[in-house]
Amino acid sequence: MTKPMIQIDDEVREMTDEEFAMYEAAVQEWPAPTE
Amino acid sequence: MATTSNYSWSTPDNTGYVKDGASSIRTLGSAVDTTLFTALGGAYPGLRLVKKQTIGSGVSSVTVTGAFSAAYENYRIIVSNCTATVSNALQLSYNNSTGSTYFHVGTYWTFGSTSIASETGSNLTSTWIANTGPGVINLYGDIFSPFLAAPTYSIGQGVSPTNPVVRYGRDTASVSNTGFTLTPGGGTLTGGTIYVYGYGIS
Repeated sequence: MTKPMIQIDDEVREMTDEEFAMYEAAVQEWPAPTE
Repeated sequence: MATTSNYSWSTPDNTGYVKDGASSIRTLGSAVDTTLFTALGGAYPGLRLVKKQTIGSGVSSVTVTGAFSAAYENYRIIVSNCTATVSNALQLSYNNSTGSTYFHVGTYWTFGSTSIASETGSNLTSTWIANTGPGVINLYGDIFSPFLAAPTYSIGQGVSPTNPVVRYGRDTASVSNTGFTLTPGGGTLTGGTIYVYGYGIS
């Protein structure tokens, strides 16, 4: 399975398993619940 | 002793001794240094470019290292001419704050409508600084005291072809940060430039 690309300064590469897990946990739904 | 016409800096007379040359240059240099320091507002005046980062192709997050330091207290981040694939939030996190300590609140509009939608989030692993596309996005955000071991606040505004947004962010973690990551809530980013400026302190 191809993982998303991550960029750190000038380096662009595929996410590691650990980075992918963190990424999946971090992305948030938009729009957020409306107040 | 001769002087310059605008700031009256001392310069050696034509009849001055060569042996006094070093002293004369030192006196002139010190006068120029003092004038510039005062005129420009200190050692780190105005907005100074700290980091410039070109965004790659099809990336799901962009991390900028070495952005924050003791040289400046507050910073401005600009993202210009970046293409985002979908409409979503643009999340902001700081490198040494990895817990669920982020909050955001803000509003967004849709071009062609005066309706305003408000939204907020609490205890997250990132705040929101703006929105993504689809299409070209441009945004700026001010980051307050990210290098201090204290809560960090942010104010961001951005515009996509569809939505203008205003975002307020808070990270309650009392940690010192040196970098940040921008993560679209969905889709990817391609191209454009991230600029990081430090606000001058005197």
